[in-house]
Amino acid sequence: MVKITNLSKSYNRGAVKAVDNLNLHVKPGEIFGFLGPNGAGKTTTIKMMVGLLNPDQGSIFINDYDNQRDPIAAKRSIGYVPDSPEVYDRLTGLEYLDFMANVYEVSPDEKKKRISYFLEMFDLVDAANDLIKSYSHGMKQKIVLTGALLHNPALWIMDEPMVGLDPRSSHLLKELMREHCDRGNTVFFSTHILEVAERLCDRIGIIHKGKLIAIGTLEELRHGEHAGTLENIFLELTEQ
Amino acid sequence: MKQFINLLKISLNVNFGISALRYRFTKERKRLWEPVLIFLSIIVGGGSITAFYTMILQNVYMVGLVLNSPEIVIIVSLIIGQFTVFVFGIMYIISAFYFSNDINILVPLPLKPYQVLGCKFITIMINEYLILLPLLVPSIIIYGTGIKPGIAYWFKSVFIILLSPVIPLIIASVFVLILMRLVNIRKSKDLLIVIGTLFGVLLSLTVNYYTQKMPDGDPGQFVQNLVSSRIDIIEMIGEKFPHVIWSTYSLSKTGLEGFIYFGLTIIVFILAFAFLLWLGNQIFYRGLLSGQEVSSRKKRLSPEQINRKTQGASSPVTALFRREWKLFIRTPIYALNGLAGMIMVPFILLMPVFTRGEEMQDAISLIRQPQFIAHATLGSFGLILFTASVNIVACTSISREGQTFCISKMILVAPKHQVAAKLLHGMSISAIGIAVTLALVAIVLQLPLLRLLIVLILGLLGNLLLNILNLIIDVIRPKLEWNNPQEAVKQNLNGFFSILLTMVSLGCLAGLSVFLFDMGLSEWWIYIILGVIAGILSLLSLKVLFTLAEKAYKKLEI
Repeated sequence: MVKITNLSKSYNRGAVKAVDNLNLHVKPGEIFGFLGPNGAGKTTTIKMMVGLLNPDQGSIFINDYDNQRDPIAAKRSIGYVPDSPEVYDRLTGLEYLDFMANVYEVSPDEKKKRISYFLEMFDLVDAANDLIKSYSHGMKQKIVLTGALLHNPALWIMDEPMVGLDPRSSHLLKELMREHCDRGNTVFFSTHILEVAERLCDRIGIIHKGKLIAIGTLEELRHGEHAGTLENIFLELTEQ
Repeated sequence: MKQFINLLKISLNVNFGISALRYRFTKERKRLWEPVLIFLSIIVGGGSITAFYTMILQNVYMVGLVLNSPEIVIIVSLIIGQFTVFVFGIMYIISAFYFSNDINILVPLPLKPYQVLGCKFITIMINEYLILLPLLVPSIIIYGTGIKPGIAYWFKSVFIILLSPVIPLIIASVFVLILMRLVNIRKSKDLLIVIGTLFGVLLSLTVNYYTQKMPDGDPGQFVQNLVSSRIDIIEMIGEKFPHVIWSTYSLSKTGLEGFIYFGLTIIVFILAFAFLLWLGNQIFYRGLLSGQEVSSRKKRLSPEQINRKTQGASSPVTALFRREWKLFIRTPIYALNGLAGMIMVPFILLMPVFTRGEEMQDAISLIRQPQFIAHATLGSFGLILFTASVNIVACTSISREGQTFCISKMILVAPKHQVAAKLLHGMSISAIGIAVTLALVAIVLQLPLLRLLIVLILGLLGNLLLNILNLIIDVIRPKLEWNNPQEAVKQNLNGFFSILLTMVSLGCLAGLSVFLFDMGLSEWWIYIILGVIAGILSLLSLKVLFTLAEKAYKKLEI
């Protein structure tokens, strides 16, 4: 579903390597957790995957589409939730969702069904007709999440999706992620909440200073020279 | 196509705040007066300028009739309109194409670059009608009512007006697209804003200079002479931009010939737009994405450097005063709005002295006579009160905090000290305005040193009062919700109220001065009375400001 090969990205004309020769393969049906300290290169990688940044080197295949050569097809396979919910503040929640559904060419019936489903699920029905600027951070996060999932994309790419969500919504999202993958789809998300990654992810990748320093299932990571909880593994790896 | 229309609908909705207006009409009825007030201000302000412009066009039309080319009025207005659209368009395009907040939403969507570009282009085009309609409609009406070319003229003119921003905006867009592809100006965004604004200041000073140079007598006659003597230039511009001539001929020629030119014009517009979309599809996202990178130096600071940067303790008011200055000067839109006007306005007001030196010499000599020295001193005081208060610093000082106002609510500094720091900041900026105006007054009027000192003291006292009152306005109605700093200052009605307040104060000052003169008081008493009144009012308003601040800081919620 996601195939990243020799991906590199640097800033300041090569002075700062944000992502350094990254190779990654995420299979269909997988929840993949992308971990790393602040500034490790997680968001840069995600932004390159969704087309917000151009890589210096390497390729990214999304659902078998090269996101540089065939960006539209690649983007159609993606539902992207950014780290900070950036939404049109001066639209109502419903107008925003309607816009997203239309852009992704969701059929009218499907659109109606899915918007109602998510609004109900995230408890946004009462707020749907209000301007987004009146929403709390969590509500904005939920409306962005809904907008990203309306077209039922095969790959969800989420940058810190749990931040700002209340426990109920966070729980619902985790269930949705699981169900989505059980249907053969893929979730790629970054997080700092290691307990979530530990319980939810099928595989985990840890990036540090732009390099992928570990990848595998939790068991595989434990079987290496590191042992214990994901927190211990993470701390040991990123302190080196 | 469906996607494009959908995107355009949303873009227009967001740009013109249609949903926000609807929301306000249904849920925030208390603030309904604000858009009404803004609309009325535009009508009143724009109406008088349009009337003056129409008068000039009328004269151009008269010359055209004499030269047997009445259509020259349309050519002139099209050239003026398109030039204006081009100048305003460049900044508009840079900000809409490359710096708007929706880029991060739109780029990950499965939309082609040309769809996003085309949609932004049309939104800008509709924005430009606000400037363009008052520039074009008068000439269309003057020609149409003068020549009476028939119904087809009015029908075609609607299309010509609607399409007229297309070519200048396309030229500006192509220029911007190529520029952004070649250089990453996002890194120099602040510099770009500064350069753009300075360009604007320079342009307005130049226009002002030439307007002031217009000789006395009938301005209509002047325009007629100008047009007759510069007809070759107008024709040359028309040759360089044939679409202007074709647009004009499609209106001025009747019958089939008119329709052929009309068709030709439409085809040119369509081809040019198609070219823009093609070019946009090739290079728009490349420039856009290279500009998305945010650089940081990631330079490790040594413990000594950290110590040096953080050493020394200061009082809370000093710390807040420093914060005000740092944020003000590091946000170009604040710095330019706060400083440019104060420096520019005294020059504009005193421009006639420099441009029409000989004519003004008599008037200046008269003012310098001993019997008028009191008037000159008070006049200078009034001028300083005006120039040093035409900034948006005090009246937006809380608004500028936006969502970071929560920090002000949290910190352990009493609101009265916080507004005191803001007042000090406002005064320090007014002091720059006072210094510039005082220097100009000293050069032009050659007031004695003692009078200059009086003007300085009165100016400081008067500005203190105005700054306190402006702060009170912002304490009462701060605009804390905004998406970019521009909204905090440019879309803030407090600036409008502040100007009103300055005007009222100047009126009161003038009235009081005349009254005191009529009472036969000596000028020294008048200065003392004005100073004492300004001082007492400042003290009283300061007390009100502190009380209101205590309440407002508690009440305001983020």
